[in-house]
Amino acid sequence: MSVNHVLTTCPYCGTGCQFFLQVVDDRLVGVVPCKTDEISQGRLCIKGYHAHAFVHHPDRLKTPLVRKDGQLVRASWHEALGRIVSEVKEIVAHHGPDSVLVLASAKCTNEENYLIQKLARAAIGTNNVDHCARLCHASTVSGLILSFGSGAMTNTTPEFDNADCILVTGSNTMEAHPIIASHMFKAHAKGAKVIVVDPRETPLSRMAYRSLHQKPGTDIAWINGMMKVIIDEDLYDRDFVKNRTTGFEALKKVVDGYTPDRVEQITGIAGKDLIDIARTYAKSEKAMIAYAMGVTQHSNGTNIVRALANLTMLTGHLGKESVGLNALRGQCNVQGSCDSGGLPDFFPGYQKVDDPETVKKFEKAWGVKLPHEKGLTLTWAVQQAAEGKIKAIVAFGENVMLSDPDITHLEKALKKLEFLAIVDIFPSETALLADVVLPAACYAEKDGTFTSTDRALRPVRKAVDPPGEAMPDWKIACELGRRFGVPGFEFKSPSEIMDEMAGLAPIYGGIDYERIDRQVIRWPCPSKDSPGAKFLHAGSFKMGRGVFAPVEHTDPQEVPSPEFPMILTTGRNLFQYHTGTMTRRSSKLEREAPEPYVELNSKDAKAFGVVDGERVRVSSRRGSVSLAARVTDNIIPGTMFIPFHYAEAPANRLTNPALDPIAHIPELKVCAARIEKG
Amino acid sequence: MNELGKKLARIAFDERGADYLLAMREEHGNVAPSMIRKGEDAGDVRVDLPYQLVNILSNIYPWVPKGRIAVVCRRCDEKALNEIIKRNLMDRDRLILIGLACTREQVALCRCSDPVPSKVDIGEANAPVREDPLMVKLDSMSQQDRLKFWTSEFRKCNKCFGCTLNCPVCFCDDCVLEEHTFTPELGIPPSFAFHLVRSMHMSDKCIECGECERSCAGGIPLLTLRKMANRDMKRMFGYEAGDKEKVSPLLTTLEGKLLEDGEHVC
Repeated sequence: MSVNHVLTTCPYCGTGCQFFLQVVDDRLVGVVPCKTDEISQGRLCIKGYHAHAFVHHPDRLKTPLVRKDGQLVRASWHEALGRIVSEVKEIVAHHGPDSVLVLASAKCTNEENYLIQKLARAAIGTNNVDHCARLCHASTVSGLILSFGSGAMTNTTPEFDNADCILVTGSNTMEAHPIIASHMFKAHAKGAKVIVVDPRETPLSRMAYRSLHQKPGTDIAWINGMMKVIIDEDLYDRDFVKNRTTGFEALKKVVDGYTPDRVEQITGIAGKDLIDIARTYAKSEKAMIAYAMGVTQHSNGTNIVRALANLTMLTGHLGKESVGLNALRGQCNVQGSCDSGGLPDFFPGYQKVDDPETVKKFEKAWGVKLPHEKGLTLTWAVQQAAEGKIKAIVAFGENVMLSDPDITHLEKALKKLEFLAIVDIFPSETALLADVVLPAACYAEKDGTFTSTDRALRPVRKAVDPPGEAMPDWKIACELGRRFGVPGFEFKSPSEIMDEMAGLAPIYGGIDYERIDRQVIRWPCPSKDSPGAKFLHAGSFKMGRGVFAPVEHTDPQEVPSPEFPMILTTGRNLFQYHTGTMTRRSSKLEREAPEPYVELNSKDAKAFGVVDGERVRVSSRRGSVSLAARVTDNIIPGTMFIPFHYAEAPANRLTNPALDPIAHIPELKVCAARIEKG
Repeated sequence: MNELGKKLARIAFDERGADYLLAMREEHGNVAPSMIRKGEDAGDVRVDLPYQLVNILSNIYPWVPKGRIAVVCRRCDEKALNEIIKRNLMDRDRLILIGLACTREQVALCRCSDPVPSKVDIGEANAPVREDPLMVKLDSMSQQDRLKFWTSEFRKCNKCFGCTLNCPVCFCDDCVLEEHTFTPELGIPPSFAFHLVRSMHMSDKCIECGECERSCAGGIPLLTLRKMANRDMKRMFGYEAGDKEKVSPLLTTLEGKLLEDGEHVC
């Protein structure tokens, strides 16, 4: 009889809460919060408390599967790995390495993502490596790198405690990041003014000093409107603008067109409220902005992020404790999977793949020739697959068949592939289409690190053995790398992988397992004697001066029409997580949110003759789904909301695959739709 | 192994014949619950953090069928075990209590009126705190203002169920708070019913350990709410939870006779 409490990191959102898994004889029996952890402080959300529930689920993949005569059948590791390598090699021989796409995963550890991108670049020879960050904060990464030189959350989560103004937009923080909301409550209790701007009345907006509702897709207008008020009333930080930024005059010119009246016309936010929040935000000494998918998932997502960056630079609300611009990231390791190079344009540590010196450095380190051109983004590559230009996808843990926009089109694209290999813990909707499926270990069954949304390295520690023959993704990547016949995949432990990555990515330069075992370190951490960084951009930006980017409001790609008179927006609820592979197999979570639904305003419900709980059909130009109506006043008239967790009524059958031109993030937050009875 | 570890190991294993010691110790720069086996190095034991060891024990108890378990117990933990044992959920003969007297700071944080375990093995007995300042303030407020106060507090509830999951005296198989009538699915914050049902339901069990308040992600002053409900229980029924023998006055027939063993454990 052995009883252990294993300290590890939550596998759900990006907050990075730590807890103990209670283990009795290789079986998880419970979760105990960790009181000494500086981020979670002994608190968890309902998902965290049930993070053990799916681990021993009977549906777990336990052996490799290979498609034979149209059926996925059990196979040996030798056969399955061999099949992947021979199929990919064959496709590379005929169509070149850039006909292959490798997908990394924000659910995998840093070490695994490092190996997955190395597999793509060094073993297959393509920069076509990307992951689901493309669907969440790609516009943050691209927008903030352009504005500030670094695309990460500027502050740490505990810094919310001491803010005196928190502007939350496009983030349903209490549901999507409950423990970050818990830190916001501490500030609220001390009198901080919380401002929420969201098309929905979120649980947080009910506590807010001001809760304003903009029409989906009109964010640039109100953000520019705030800046106009701030400039007109001389509330901006002249010193900051003069000493630390460029491009102010051009910004001033553009925002001048956004009078409160015009903003009200575009967004629906009353002019007096706009003026009030502009003053409150500008005058507060410790002002923090928190935002998430409501900002990023637009065809102009990069521009909205840049508008927020403009606002922080204009007011000098950057580079200090409890002052800054904070992208709340939604997966346990989505920050780390970007840091580790799971992106088509960056090596680990955001080093450009098309910079000759950097390429040389990695060629020397890895002992192979590397491609010099940026690879394809996930969303773009899928469109290429539909045209037959991408022939093979090797995906670690992505369930694109629920998470990506316009899945009817996507399924056609996937079926057109010559080869699809999926590594996952459950037989996801995407795995069922694959030629080879490999069983992976989940977070509780391996060692490694996640990087939380506030850049902290969070250890993941093995508590139990994987089921059946399942293996950690890092071992699978090593096996594949060796079989491709390239050097540099002979790792014995995740710690060795981190050592290699730290040697190549300066922002992780001082990270090693011994240090992070006992202390919280946040990147940038360039050397072993560096304690890491709390808040970013103190004193100067990475690239010297911050860049104001004047951006104009543009309409979303789809606007309501007589045929599709409503705006459909999508997102999460508190109890389910993404495509539901884990949460829908956790009974307590499923109890709370067991079936798909569409939220609509009571006025719209009346107009369409729909009552609460009634089955309705929601359609867009791309398809339709049938689900239950939830009639509420927590959403503005003219807008509907569907959570994207449910395979039986996938919101992404409806969403628009229109892409942001820079970040290639799809417009998951706005499409035109209609609702009918039945 | 620190001095405290040595002392606890000696008391648990050498003096009192335990097979396991459930305590907190330093691991990975944090403080972790640990089920230390006889003969194992106890490590650097800590008693300065209010982890709910009885609740942690309840989770693993069904999985540990044999052996005697020593548990570091504050007065509240001791009372929680009394409630558990009275309901036949654990066997007293398998448990060894090592009494921990809370520090003055901890007593203040819990506004604790009963901080000294029946036998003190570790720490020094400190005087109780007689008043909960928030309770005093609420008592002086009008009913309407109190309603306003609790409404704004309950808005922060995001239904993590931390107050029940971390509660040492929450032991129903089917939780009434998961019943859709009181707690409809999806909605947060849950309605008043969630907190009031819990409040009433716990009033003959709550031993005021404060773990609900400490683990509340909303920072709701749940311990004060508990203390107020417990005060009513005492006024109305003359009963306080945590006694070794006394059975809850709520567990009776209409004629006032106590229910038979196991007939109603909640």
